[in-house]
Amino acid sequence: MAKKRFRDKTYRQQLAGGPVDLPFLMLVLLLTAIGVITVFSASFGSAYYENGDPSRYFRSQLILAVGGVIVMFLVSRVDYQYLRRFARVALIASIVLLLLVKVPGIGVTHQGANRWIRLPGFQFQPSEIAKVGVILFFAAKLAARQPEKKRKWDPRTRKGRVLNFLERIGFLELLPYMVILLLMAGLLLIEPHMSGAILILAGGAAVLFAGGIHWGWFVVGGGALASGLWFIMTHTDYMARRLSTWRDPWSDAQNAGWQTIQSLYAIGSGGLLGKGFGRSMQKFLYLPEEHNDFIFSIWCEEMGFIGALVVIALFVLLILRGYWLALHARDKFGALLIVGITTLTAVQVFLNIGVVTNLIPPTGISLPFFSYGGTALIIQLGEMGIILSVSRQIEAPRLG
Amino acid sequence: MATEREETGRSQGRERSDDRHNKQRVFWRTILLMGLFGALAFVPLVGRLYQLQIVQHEELQERAADQQTRDLTVSADRGTIYDNEGNILAMSATVQNLILSPKDLNAAIEENNKRLAAGKEANPNLNQAFVAQGLSQITGVDAGKIIERMGKTNSQYEVLCRKMENDMSEQVRAFIAANKLGNGVYLEPDSKRYYPYASLASHVIGFTGADNQGLYGAEYIYDDALSGVAGRVITAKNGAGTEMLSKYENYIDAQDGRDHHLTINATIQGFAEKALKEGIEKYDVQNGGFCIVMDPDTGGILAMASAPDYDLNAPFEVFDPQEALRLEEMEADPAVDEDTYKGELGKAQLNQWRNRCVNDTYEPGSTFKSIVVAAALEEGVVSLDSQFYCNGSKKVADRVIHCAERSGHGAENLADAVRNSCNPAFIEIGQKLGAEKFYDYMEDFGLLSYTDIDLNGENKGVVWDRDFFESEIGISSLATASFGQTFRITPIQLITAASAVVNGGHLMVPHILDYTTDSEGNVVDTYPVTEIRQVISEETSQTVCQLLEQVVGAKKGTGRNAYQAGYRIGGKTGTSEKTGANENEDDYIVSFLGMAPANDPQVVILLAYDTPKPSYPGSSWTAGGTYISGGNMGAPMAGPLLKQILDYLGVDKQYSAEELSGADSTTPNLVGYKEATAASECKRLGFTYRKIGDGEKVTGQIPVAGAVIPGGSELLLYMGEEKPTDPARVPDLSGLTPDETRQALAQADLYMRGSGSAQYFTSATLCASQSIPAGTEVERGTVVDVTFVENVTDYRPDA
Repeated sequence: MAKKRFRDKTYRQQLAGGPVDLPFLMLVLLLTAIGVITVFSASFGSAYYENGDPSRYFRSQLILAVGGVIVMFLVSRVDYQYLRRFARVALIASIVLLLLVKVPGIGVTHQGANRWIRLPGFQFQPSEIAKVGVILFFAAKLAARQPEKKRKWDPRTRKGRVLNFLERIGFLELLPYMVILLLMAGLLLIEPHMSGAILILAGGAAVLFAGGIHWGWFVVGGGALASGLWFIMTHTDYMARRLSTWRDPWSDAQNAGWQTIQSLYAIGSGGLLGKGFGRSMQKFLYLPEEHNDFIFSIWCEEMGFIGALVVIALFVLLILRGYWLALHARDKFGALLIVGITTLTAVQVFLNIGVVTNLIPPTGISLPFFSYGGTALIIQLGEMGIILSVSRQIEAPRLG
Repeated sequence: MATEREETGRSQGRERSDDRHNKQRVFWRTILLMGLFGALAFVPLVGRLYQLQIVQHEELQERAADQQTRDLTVSADRGTIYDNEGNILAMSATVQNLILSPKDLNAAIEENNKRLAAGKEANPNLNQAFVAQGLSQITGVDAGKIIERMGKTNSQYEVLCRKMENDMSEQVRAFIAANKLGNGVYLEPDSKRYYPYASLASHVIGFTGADNQGLYGAEYIYDDALSGVAGRVITAKNGAGTEMLSKYENYIDAQDGRDHHLTINATIQGFAEKALKEGIEKYDVQNGGFCIVMDPDTGGILAMASAPDYDLNAPFEVFDPQEALRLEEMEADPAVDEDTYKGELGKAQLNQWRNRCVNDTYEPGSTFKSIVVAAALEEGVVSLDSQFYCNGSKKVADRVIHCAERSGHGAENLADAVRNSCNPAFIEIGQKLGAEKFYDYMEDFGLLSYTDIDLNGENKGVVWDRDFFESEIGISSLATASFGQTFRITPIQLITAASAVVNGGHLMVPHILDYTTDSEGNVVDTYPVTEIRQVISEETSQTVCQLLEQVVGAKKGTGRNAYQAGYRIGGKTGTSEKTGANENEDDYIVSFLGMAPANDPQVVILLAYDTPKPSYPGSSWTAGGTYISGGNMGAPMAGPLLKQILDYLGVDKQYSAEELSGADSTTPNLVGYKEATAASECKRLGFTYRKIGDGEKVTGQIPVAGAVIPGGSELLLYMGEEKPTDPARVPDLSGLTPDETRQALAQADLYMRGSGSAQYFTSATLCASQSIPAGTEVERGTVVDVTFVENVTDYRPDA
């Protein structure tokens, strides 16, 4: 129980004013710092060749990082309990934003995809907000869940019996979540934004899983997803081609396989200890997106296997600490919020490193805290702020 | 696990609060997610990174470095080839290759067109056809072909013209600059091989291909050492291909090729080739020939010529005029397809590139008797006192083998047998030696193995196997082998064995390389003079040398046409039947295997002509009236050649007492005769003559008719010019060598008759007294008797 230090504060205020989890904060700051420095090295080449100003991307990323840390701090000061009330609005806002990308004048079309919304001065991906929106909404709704109190319908009618059955197997409870997830994923897929859809599904599913939805549904959902993917992979030319370049990037080394090959060259030439910070060769116009999605390749080239392990270890610690905080959260809402955000981060890290090492088929996904990119870092840090906010209300271990 | 708990919770009833139940579920499911996303998911990532960064590190790094670096080769200069006096036989010079970059050229043309359209300053003529025409005019490359290459729009490297020399490349450079072709057309340095002596020693030196790689001869055998090691400049480049000069650069210096100094002597090679060519013309020789000059003590080749030959500066041209004409007609003939033509061209090229001295085998004929007699003497089965009887033929195993002298040589000793090149005597010698020993010596003289000369494509003898040769049925082979027929060896095998015969018995490895030097002239490698074995003793060697000298020196020796006074030439003639497959039995290879001076051979030569044309098929005479044989063709060409070589090498002349005094002859009257008549009269009497003036008839002579002067002296024939009547003054001859004495007297129109105690008169023999005192005035043409004594060097203890 937090000490009563300010008489004029309510109990809730006192709880919200507790100390943030220091290890988690440190990990976030460490990763952000390494990320910003890596952007400097990785973006050096393209910034130099594009604008003649090698520190251009670095400066902008540094400003965003500082801004992001401030946002994180501010968010952490907000009592997350208020977010419950905010959940429904956040969800609706997310859906609206996802629709807005398709509106000419607001949405930005880039390489045939509408993923951005432009506002005066900056642009951002609504999918970033939608991820948080879904998690927030799911967490809030599932926190209020009372699984033992099942609704009952008249068993004498056929409809009633069907409804009773569906309620018993948990389908009726799941239905609204499924509708929301499928709607979101659908909106993202028509942007198109495959990786965004995957992350929303992953984040949402994690909250649902932790929230207590019957495990069988995840088996069914996973199975449906897997068979759907299998169908797409084997029955569409587009995906078949992507898969063949995934298995052997050298089969189309000059085009489809180029980026993967360049990434593998970067990672491979790093060796055990790397070429040394700033000494990457692959960043000089060889590896496209070297300071965005493929920034980890440059890190591997410069810092070697050891450096890669260090960053992975930091991520692992961050994720483990995240789940640890979830386990110790004051209430189910807080726990589910953290589980959602942490899982989101973990999946993103896994997918990004999986893509740059060609472990999984390529999809455009950024690396949290590292990838250069406008608002993503700020939102990312904002999410961390939510976790920190939850951490404030964890009971301190009793002394003695 | 979470589910289990859930089940447990349910079974325990509903006493527990929902909240607690709920919390537990959240707890365990979070733990599950924690394990999955916080640990398990990262295992494959780390595994994959390990695979890429540790396992595949080398491979990926190499491939990355491949694309990240520009690796420019800095070519090493190819070593120069020198003869043994430092004359350049082969050298490299920088030339330019003309490179077309269609991609850049088309971009330049497009840019120019844009400027034209915009009304800016531009070249109004610039288009593909213009550039192609311009380049074609300078280089002679077909303009159509250039336009065709320009069509390869993605290419940046099309070689239009290779190895342009300075004047041409300068014109191209000017054309590029005048039309601002930039990177569209550019020059790339390359090197070209030049052979200052053109066809001289072509088969030994060999030549290089388009990429300066050695293809034949020394250029081929010593290609590695001549090429050197190319250097590299490695620079970093970015993904757009631009060099990044600030990034690392790495230089590996080119290591220039070694200069090679051959044992070949360009002058001696020239002598040899001249003798070969003259003989081929003189005797209407059908299949060319070969000539080798070897230093018997080291095995070093001083000259090696093979006919037909070719110009090393244009080795792919066919130099035989008839063959070239035939091929030209073939190429023009539409009925002949390309492949046939190319095949024939290839054959003609191979024929001229062929070094017959090492690539071909032939039957050595009587020249081989020098080796047989050496073996027999070494084994002691014959001696100088051995007696033979030749009645013109000898029957061996139901086969009658004739001697060249059908009427027989009668009774003869060993020296006679060698001098006469008597087949029956040699059959007997061979039989005395026995098949086993005979075969042993063939083996020991290296006739069954490669000589390992440092030239490409060496062949080796085609000889019966030992079992056959030593068996009953091999008996006639032994007989024919005794005079060098029915087996084949290469000329280099023969001369190497012959060198061993005369050099004291040492079988050497023949070689053309003397030593190599680096670019600063420091000696790097010296070809090791290698003795394979001593085959015969020094004494036997000396004896054979004496026998061979008599072949040339004796009045009736078969090699007497090679005789040159003062040079002590020894040798053995050969007239080999060509009995191989695809060879005409009536054709002969006439040859002379010679060495000089006989007391200490400095050079050994082998000169051969393949198939002098008989006046009619089956005839033994050429149309020019020369009897087809080694003694009549090989020897007369080889004698002067040896003389030239020894003179060039500065080997002391040695005159026998007989040579020095000469048999006196009486001069004829030649006044009033035409030159032709006078010349034949001189020749008949053994005189030579010198013409003074250019009238038709002889108007005066020195000495006058009826004078007695040493045979072989030179008569002075005045033809229209006034014959001087004033007396000659006798010069002081004291202390002069025989040669100098002869010259001093000849200058005063006097003659020398030498005498003295020494067996041979060399530069160590000096004039001691003269019959007419110095300063005396005598009639021109007078003979002065000169006495020579050997200059004995006494060693005295130092005072």
